[in-house]
Parts: sequence; structure tokens; C-alpha cells
Amino acid sequence: MTAKPITILIAALGGEGGGLLADWLVGAAMASDLPVQSTSIPGVAQRTGATTYYLEIHPGTQAMLGGRRPVMGLYPAPGDIDILVSSELLEAGRAVENGYVTPDQTILIAAAHRVYATIEKMDMEDGRVDASRVLEACRRMAKTPLLFDLTRSSRTRALPLNAVLLGALAGTGRLPVEEPAFEQAIRQRGVAVEPNLAAFRIGLAIGAKGPESDIIPDTGSSPARGSASASLAGAARDFPPAALPVVEEAIRRLVDYQDESYARLYLERLGKVRDYPEAPLLEIARQLALWMAYEDVIRVAQVKSRPERLERVRAEARARADQPVHVTEIFKPGLDEIASVLPRGLGRSLRNWASRKPSRAALHIPVRIRSTGVFGHLLLRFAAGLRGSRPRSLRYIEEQATLETWLALVEQAAAIGADFAFEVARLAKLRKGYGDTWRRGQVNFSAIVAGIVEPALAAKVNAAPQLREAISAAVADPESVELGDVLRPSPARL
Amino acid sequence: MERSFAKEIEQLRKGEGEVFEGEGIMAITKALLQAGVSYIGGYQGAPVSHLLDVLSQGQGFLGELGVHFENSANEAAAAAMLAASINYPIRGAATWKSTVGTNVASDALSNLASAGVVGGAMIIVGEDYGEGASIIQERTHAFAMKSQMWLMDPRPDHGRMVELIAKGFELSEATNTPVIAEFRIRACHLHGRFIAKDNVKPAVSSLSRLSEPVFNVGRISLPPSTYLQEKHKIEVRLPAALDFIRREKLNEHFEGSCKEIGIILQGGLYNSVVKALQQMGLADAFGGSEIPILCLNVTYPLVPGEVTEFCAGKTAVLVVEEGQPDYLEQALNAMLRKADLQTVIVGKSVLPMGGEYTASVMLEGVTKFIEGAVPQGLDLKGIGAAAERARIAKRDAAALLGGPLPKRPAGFCVGCPERPVFSAIKLLERDLGKIHIAADIGCHSFSTLEPFNLGNSILGYGLGLSSSAGVTPNFSKRVISVMGDGGFWHNGLVSGVAGSLYNQQDSVLVVMNNGYTSATGQQSILSSKKEGNRPRVTIEKALAMMGVGWIRPVRNYSVGKMKRVLKEAMTTTEKGLKVVIANSECQLAVQRRVKPLAAKKLAAGERVVRTRYGVDDEVCTGDHSCIRLSGCPSLTLKDTPDPLRRDPVAHVNNECVGCGLCAEVADAAALCPSFWRADVVQNPGFLDRFLWRIRSWVIGLPKAQVAPAE
Repeated sequence: MTAKPITILIAALGGEGGGLLADWLVGAAMASDLPVQSTSIPGVAQRTGATTYYLEIHPGTQAMLGGRRPVMGLYPAPGDIDILVSSELLEAGRAVENGYVTPDQTILIAAAHRVYATIEKMDMEDGRVDASRVLEACRRMAKTPLLFDLTRSSRTRALPLNAVLLGALAGTGRLPVEEPAFEQAIRQRGVAVEPNLAAFRIGLAIGAKGPESDIIPDTGSSPARGSASASLAGAARDFPPAALPVVEEAIRRLVDYQDESYARLYLERLGKVRDYPEAPLLEIARQLALWMAYEDVIRVAQVKSRPERLERVRAEARARADQPVHVTEIFKPGLDEIASVLPRGLGRSLRNWASRKPSRAALHIPVRIRSTGVFGHLLLRFAAGLRGSRPRSLRYIEEQATLETWLALVEQAAAIGADFAFEVARLAKLRKGYGDTWRRGQVNFSAIVAGIVEPALAAKVNAAPQLREAISAAVADPESVELGDVLRPSPARL
Repeated sequence: MERSFAKEIEQLRKGEGEVFEGEGIMAITKALLQAGVSYIGGYQGAPVSHLLDVLSQGQGFLGELGVHFENSANEAAAAAMLAASINYPIRGAATWKSTVGTNVASDALSNLASAGVVGGAMIIVGEDYGEGASIIQERTHAFAMKSQMWLMDPRPDHGRMVELIAKGFELSEATNTPVIAEFRIRACHLHGRFIAKDNVKPAVSSLSRLSEPVFNVGRISLPPSTYLQEKHKIEVRLPAALDFIRREKLNEHFEGSCKEIGIILQGGLYNSVVKALQQMGLADAFGGSEIPILCLNVTYPLVPGEVTEFCAGKTAVLVVEEGQPDYLEQALNAMLRKADLQTVIVGKSVLPMGGEYTASVMLEGVTKFIEGAVPQGLDLKGIGAAAERARIAKRDAAALLGGPLPKRPAGFCVGCPERPVFSAIKLLERDLGKIHIAADIGCHSFSTLEPFNLGNSILGYGLGLSSSAGVTPNFSKRVISVMGDGGFWHNGLVSGVAGSLYNQQDSVLVVMNNGYTSATGQQSILSSKKEGNRPRVTIEKALAMMGVGWIRPVRNYSVGKMKRVLKEAMTTTEKGLKVVIANSECQLAVQRRVKPLAAKKLAAGERVVRTRYGVDDEVCTGDHSCIRLSGCPSLTLKDTPDPLRRDPVAHVNNECVGCGLCAEVADAAALCPSFWRADVVQNPGFLDRFLWRIRSWVIGLPKAQVAPAE
């Protein structure tokens, strides 16, 4: 008997139960009298890092082998893995990257949801790996890809993943181990036996018949809120069909945010650029809507006091219908944010007073509001109700002025080039967030306008490439180091 | 320690003929007991922590055998324990992670090796080298050579490892020399089995004590004895060792049909070489190889006769030796030269000088060797196919993936109490500018990685404060030194705190007081909460007794307060050592204790409040500042639900343990109003349900959401 051992590599994240999965496999092989060897690099006790477990199972029973003992490897060998099991998509991709998945040999069993790495999450915009590319690589490189995403259904979301993976592995029939041996291994190991057995059986079906549904990329969007009157809807139809979804969403957003006349103001502003090419028009439509619906205390209170929002929190916290949930809102408004919703005169006075001393300017007031309490909820509703007076507020007046200036810049840029107009429109995305984030964005926005946009317009030069570079630099690091480099005057630039 | 090792202890009790089953490091532990050790000491660290954890819980069982066990204060203490074998016929063992632990132990080891032993002394080191290692990359081999201790590198097979430990004790006694047995990470975690023997009750032990001390000036490490000891090493101990290794066949010679070439390897790499040969079609599943193999289960000293006999008549021999310098290759070349043999030794020219010999490295190297050696009688066709196949798989994958995937190093756990300290330092840097951080060994070393990137040097365990001594006087701002409670007791108290006080350094020290040596698997220390009769000395008390005047205990999760206190320490006019004690228990330990308790209460129908945090996806604008300041694994991303936006929003997933750091950071940094805290009342009482009904009515929840009476 000189048959090759069956090689199994488990790729997981620390703390996900990959070790237990390896234990179960060892147990199942031993119960079947098969020589087995497993090893791992769990490393330190911490969680979250990528880790692997490697097993070899000899297909001939000990009884058949007599006294002969196979010599097995301690390391997975690229190009020589029969079964690859991964608890996450990126880790499956990493196994593919390392050559552990080959089209004529490897059964790839992977949970295809994403757990983002820190480096992906830190990005100021979107640093996530292109999941579709990883999925495609998994499908193309594996002999049999078995990719499934348990997080997509509430029915399977809470299942112990390692037991499902074990079931899927068993279901493929690649190991000369019968089902009862796997179940016996789960029982013998004694960890959460019943839930693991149930999950194992769900996995069995996936392994035997393939996953129920194919994995589709996320397209999560919240239900449309706010309604538009017939006349508004009619006005929206004046725009090219490609812009309609954005314009209609913008109208709904602004009616909800303020009122119908505010939405009409949006249409009026956008009307000036109606005949622009599609790319700048869409970008302007989007940025203008976001800018007009800028985030302030009133908006936050409005969003947080909606009953549907509490339902969302309850769902996210996985509260059952009979379980009360107390929600506490964590706020820390600065004097500036308070000044911004006050009427212009009053707001200015407060801001001037605050700016006289650094300690005042930095003053933030920590507030905890229990939004599920009667008082807390009414407080939020009161704050949300201030939106009637918003048009008289300091920030409203300032924002309208700045955005009019921006729109004028976009129009001037359009006279030079559509790509230039697009980039000037896109520049508005820097102005997002709250507190320091918002301040930083505002400073960067002004710096780019003064450093690139205005000089270019004055010289009637298309500065789209420089703008593109500056925008990327502005979101490259939170300290705006890179942007400083880009904007530093140099003979090569404008 | 919240885990139970009852099952492992049961395995250690096994007797003659029973099948032992478990991890390599447990097999080694069993081997020690079968060899009749009287005492065992050690300091925790991967991959040998398990040995200590299990024995620590197995005190009762060890007591029955009369075996004394100690969780030593550090590796130096563990090595010094072996002094018992200098004068008395007592077998003992010490264990630690190498090479870091061997560094700490070196003083004691040098003296032990010089004095020599009469009882077998065995040092089990976990060779933490390569993939998954958490320390600097060095070899234990150098220590063995410089102090003249024998180095075993057993073939990773449970039965053979156990036999070799037994032989190692005999070798130690036959040569009056301590023996080091090194085991790589994968061998320690290797699951396998072997036929057990009875544990041996040592002749001298706590059950049968000595009454008379032995005085022998020749065993004192002081001149003139040291000169004689050196002579004894050369003239007596080494020849005895060469003789014993050969006579007892500690190294293994596996015959092969090919007569022209051969492979000499470190025992620990045997399986990997065989695996490569199997892939190339030159070995069968049972290790039967066409190429002869000399497996060195003892890598120091090499037995010249054994090596030259193996090489004689061969045109080329591959030496497979992991890490640098290439001690074995150099020694082999010298031996063949002296024996006037012309066999070509091939080693680091086909295998990399540094780094772990993984399967693909091994396959490439062995393939290159055989292709280069062109031995007669071997069918070389297809030899390179396996290596080529691996290369193609990697190349095709790279093309499909379009670029390297992001790395995912280990990091702070969900709810880790050390993370908030670094969030606070990040915020402090906004006020004071960048600060030099003298980092230390422990989970807190992860502060040097994303998203914090805090820490300018790491010099060794417990050396955070000491490593600031030369920086502080040369820096305009104070330096922050970090030390864990593990490092504090390991040696930080003396080399750091005492040194700082004596030299009147103007330093700031943060001690991470999480209650355990957490990075090595939550072992208890002197400041851990009380267990049994063990005394407890808090870090605060120890510092106060040392005369530290400025001590501020802070609860880690209070990021704002932590920042204020650190700022005070950095800016106060008070000179001298200022210590911030960051107090919060290791979250893994907390969860291990709290989760089963909550489950039990829930099952019993008792009221249990579960807390978790979240982000309003409509409020979040997707800047991810919160992530850059926290790095919690459960604070992640999801697609924005807003059709007008592009960037993903922050999202707290279901692994949240409700530590509240994300909200604390949002608060301390005045980030945004997106965070919420939800307290879910499980098994609500009458009052809960009544109030909830009123609140639901006020909020305007649809009827279905109003909690029904049961």
C-alpha cells in the first residue's frame, strides 16, 4: 500500500475555531482507523491574525498497514493540496495566492464572507480588496469550488462556521471517512455538541449538493424616505434618464431633510448644468444633494428619533421581539456645532467668543441620551423639530454661500473641459463628516480651490490631472501630509 | 488561567502499553515523567507554554510522583534551578521559548555547563523560528556550541521524540553535561500518538529527600576550578559524548538504493525532506527513500566517524540545515577535509541561508541538488515536475488576483484593554506632537502595527523602560516606556524601575496591568488575583515599596482620562519616574469566565443584560477615523446604504463584547455622533416589560414591536 496521503489545509483567523475543526478531523480519521497527522502555527494567544492548520490522512487503515507507519509532512506544499478549507474569503484567496489551490486537484471549501483586514479598514475612503476578483480566482483555480456565504441569511448566520465547514468537507466524500465517524468526533471532543452537530448536517448538504444559492455582491440600500410632490417629480423628468435615479433620490432626501422648496432649490441649481455631459452632470447632481443635506445636530436628531431606526438597532443587536432594548446615543458636540444651528447673529457671537481662547474652541460637551427613554426621545424629537428654523441658522447661510461659489467654479471649469468640471465637482466629497474630520476636509477643500482650481481658471488651463492627484492626496492620510507635498509650489506645477 | 487541562493530565497518567495521544509538547512532557525527573521549571512562551500550563494544573498528580514543579520567575531562574543536578543524582528539566529565553538564561547555563552535572539535566527549548514565530530569528545552536552543551533536534515522530528524551538524560549523565532538546513550533503542535511507559518515581524527590549536602570544589564556577572544568569538557566530556551518541545510535541512517549521493539533515527537518522526496517520486509513503539519509537527532556535537562513513564513496551530499550561520555545513566540510574525502557538500548554495524551510523551499532546494548532482541510476525525468507545478500554481494565481493580497498579522483581540491605551497615546500626540515610545514584549507589541504604528524600539521582555535610558537624555520631550505586567515581574522591576530610580531618570512608564502574562496564554503572576495560598503583590504596592512617588492607576477604557493622565505625566514639572498603571483584565480571560456564567443565568430564566455598540449607517459618512483610532476587529466596514454615497460606512459586527472603546474614542476624539450603545434585556421582568410598553408607545413603534406578555 503506497497510496498518497490526503492533504488538507485549513486557513482561518485566530479565534475562529480552526483548531477545533482540525481536532474533529483528527478524531474522525482516528475513529476510522486511518493514520493521521496534524500540525499548526497558532502562534501567540491573540486573535484576528491569519493562521493555518495542516493535516495529512493516509487512506489505508492501520489494520491494513500492519506495523508500517507513514511519514507525513509538517508543511502544506504548494501544488499538492487535496482539500483546502477556509473560514473567510480573503484567506481562501491567500491560499490561492500561495499556490495551494490547483485546478486538477484541489477541492476548495470556503466561507465566502469577508472579514476585513485592518489595513483595508483604515483607508479614508474604500480600501477593501475587490471581492469579486478573489471569488473569481477561487473558482478558476479550484478543481471543485464550494463557496458559500452563511452571513447572507438570518437562518444560517449564527451557525458555528467550523462545524458547517466540517460538514461540507464530509459531504464531498473525498475522505474515506463515514458520516458517523465525524459525528462521533464532535461528540467526543465535547464542545457545544448539539449546535455543532446541527451545523455539521447543514454543511453535509452543502458538500454533497453544492451551496443553495450563488454569491451575489452586496447591494444594500435603505428604503427610500420622504415623498416628492407631483410637480417635483415632473421637474426631475427634465433631466437625462441616466441622471434620474440620482435626482429622484436627491429630491426625496431634501424634502425629508428640509422641505419641498429646498428640493426645488436643488432642481433650480442643477438646472444650470442640465446639458453637461453625463459624467460631470451625475457627479454634480450627487455632490450637490449631499452638500445641501449637510450633517448637523438637527439632521442627526431626526435620523436617530425615527421608529424604524430603533428597529434597525434592535435587529443589529439581535434582540428578540420580547426583549426590551435600551439605546444610548453618544454625542459630544463642540461649541462650533452648537453655534452652527443657532440663528446667524447669535451663532457668530458664540463662535467669536469661543475662538478667543483655544480652550473654548476645543470645548466639547459629552452628552449621553437614552433615546429609548421618554425624556431622551422627546429631546431628540425637539432637536429634529428645529429644522423649520434651519434656513436662518449660521451654518445654513454659510453652506449656501460656499456651495454657490463651488457651483460657479464648476461652471467655469466646464467651459475649459468636461473632465475639469468633473474633478471640481468631485472635490466637494472632501467636505464630509463631523468635528475634526469635517474641519480637515473644509481646510483641504479651500486649499485645493486656492492652490489649483482658481489659478487654473485664471490661466484658462485644464487642471483635471492635478486636481485628481490632489484629491487622492487629500484622502491618502489623515494628517494631510501628502496633500501638503502636492500643493507645495514647484516650478513643474501651475 | 481560566482553562482546564484535566484531559491532558489524564494522558500524562497513562502507563505501560497504553496509547498516549496528543500534541508533541505533551508527548515531551510525558517523556520527562517517564524518565524520572525530580523537578521541572520553566517560563512560558510559544510553543512550550502548554507544558507549563498542564503541569501547573497537575500539581496534585505531580505530588504523587514526588515531582516538584515551578513556574519560574524568568528563564534565568528556570536555568538556575538545574543547579540541583550539579551535585546530586537528580534528574531535572527546564523549558522556555528560544532563543529569547536562552538569552535570558545564558548566565546560569554557562555556569551550569562549566560545572557539569551528575544528575541528568535537560533543557527543552521551543525553537521559535520562521513562519508564525513571534521573536527575532536566531538559532539555539550557537549557545550549545559556545557553552558546550549537547544539542538534540529530534525527528518529529512522537515515539522517537519520547525515546530520545530518555536517551538524552542518559547522555547527560554519561557525559556530565546538560543537554538541550530543541523542538520547532510545528513539532510542538504536532498531533500524534505513541505507546506509553509507566511514569518513574524518582529515587530522590520531595517524597524521599536528601539529608547531607555534597561539597565538591571542582563543581564551583570559580578559578581554579573553571580551568579544570574547561579541560574536563575537552578531554573527557566531549569524547564521552561522541562515544555515547554513536553507541546508542541516537542518529539514524536510512539506507537508499542510490549510492552516489546522500542527504544529511537536522532531525527536526526529516519529515519535510521526505515530503519533498515523495513529491519528486523518490520516496514512498513510509519514508522509504532512494536517496540515503543521515538523520541527525543530535546536531551538536557531530560524530566525525559517523559523518565520514556516510559521505565516503558519495560524490555529493546535501546538508539540510535551517537558519544561519551554516554551522553544520562548515563543520562537515572541515571533517571531510580532515578525513581527506572529496565528497562535495552542498547546502546553502541550493537552500536559502535564512528563513524557515517550508515545503516549497525544501522542494526547490532538494530538486536543485539532485538536478545538479546528476546521480547515475536515478530516473531524473520528472524530478522537477512537482516544483514546476507549484510555480505554475502561484503564477496563475497572481495573474488572476492582479496584485498581492493585504497581510493580516495578529493583533489586539476584540475588547482588548491594551488598545485604549494606544488610542489615548494617539490622541495625546495630537496635542504634544509625535512621542518616542520605548515598546516592550507582550500583546502590547502589536501597537507597532496598524492602525497605531506606535513604538520606536523593542529590546526584549521587560526592557521597555531600560531601553529608554539612552533616549530620554537626548530628547526634548519625555519618552513613554511601555511594559506589561508579565514583563514587569520577568525583569522590568529590577532592570527598569530600580535602574531608573537609581539613575534618577526623568521617565514615563505605562504598565499594562491585565492580570496575566497574556501573550503566552494567560499564565498567572505575582500580581494576579489570588488563587489558593499563593501570595499576591500588586504592581502599585511593589512600586510604592521601591519608592516611586508618582503612581496613577487608570482604568484603561477611560480613554479621555488615560489621555489626561498621560499628558500630566509628560508635562508635569516633577522629575523622576512617573508610572501610569493601566488597569483592566485581559478580555479573553474575562470572556472565558463571564460567557458561561451569563449562559447559565439565561438558561435559568434570570434577567441578563447584554451590551453591545453600533454605528448608525445613516449618520456615518465613511471617514473611518474611528477605525484608525481603535483598530477593534469588531469595528469593521459595510457598504453604505445611502445610494448617493460611495465609501463604506463603519459597522460593529456581532463579535462586539460591549467594552465601549469605540464610543470612548468617538467621545475622547470628538469624532462623530454615529455611535450607539444598546442594552438588550434578556429574560425581562414585569417592570422591564411595563416600561418598555410605555416607551414604545412614545417612540411610536408599530404594535408588533411592543413586547408581548408571555
